[in-house]
Amino acid sequence: MSTPAGFDELIHPATRLSVVALLAVTEWADFAFVRDSLSLSDSALSKQLHTLEGAGYLEIRKEGGGRHRRTKVRLTDRGRTAFEGHVAALRAIVDNAAPATGAVLRQTPTEAGR
Amino acid sequence: MSTSVDAEQAWRDLQRIRVPQERVYDEFERSASGGRGTAYGTAALMWVFLAGVGIGLPRWGVGLLAAGYVGLLGVVIVTGSRRRRMQLHHTRCPGRMWASFGAMAGLVAGTIVLADHFTKALEPISAGLVQATAGAAVYLLSLGPANRWAADSVRSGGGPEAGEEPGR
Repeated sequence: MSTPAGFDELIHPATRLSVVALLAVTEWADFAFVRDSLSLSDSALSKQLHTLEGAGYLEIRKEGGGRHRRTKVRLTDRGRTAFEGHVAALRAIVDNAAPATGAVLRQTPTEAGR
Repeated sequence: MSTSVDAEQAWRDLQRIRVPQERVYDEFERSASGGRGTAYGTAALMWVFLAGVGIGLPRWGVGLLAAGYVGLLGVVIVTGSRRRRMQLHHTRCPGRMWASFGAMAGLVAGTIVLADHFTKALEPISAGLVQATAGAAVYLLSLGPANRWAADSVRSGGGPEAGEEPGR
């Protein structure tokens, strides 16, 4: 099966998709907020963030010092475009599925998601 | 390497996207409805400003008071924003948010004008205090509902990824 244009292999893994999805609705988010929201460990999140940062999809900025040190994460324009393209590709896959399957998927998302 | 994704997997992924975004809306709602200290702080500042204007200060006094009010309000806003754990993306701020802000400003301004009308017979100092108290009270009373209304609209109009069903 071929994947539609816009499908992003880098964003596709579940954890990275969740990280990017969260950042897509924010201007920026605290590292701690992302970690708590996705129930990830510091190291697991850090690894995913650095992978995405390496691809130019997000920026990591450290602010303040000492006890007030904060790490802010922001999706770049490139990351936002990639996420939007990936979502569009996922939608295209669902839409291009056989009409009957598509109807079932749309009507019973919970069952289809099992 | 290319990943092959079937419709069910794609549908699951689209559902998965919603979960973290709901966390963001939860946080936005929490920060919008919370912050009692900020609410009382801004109301107190408003009261001092309105009372100062109401007692008939000279023009330079009003200017000084306005500068102090804006400055302190800025400090409160900056302090509040530093405590935030995230900031909602500007495309997620619906018109209803700005409408609620405008409506609140209109309501407070209307209350002050109305209070001014009803306190014309009073001494300037008493009239100023009544106007300031009425304005600050209306501000405090309308802040909670306005914030909740705005937060609801962010969730319900959360944008293409959160609000639409795939295949639409």
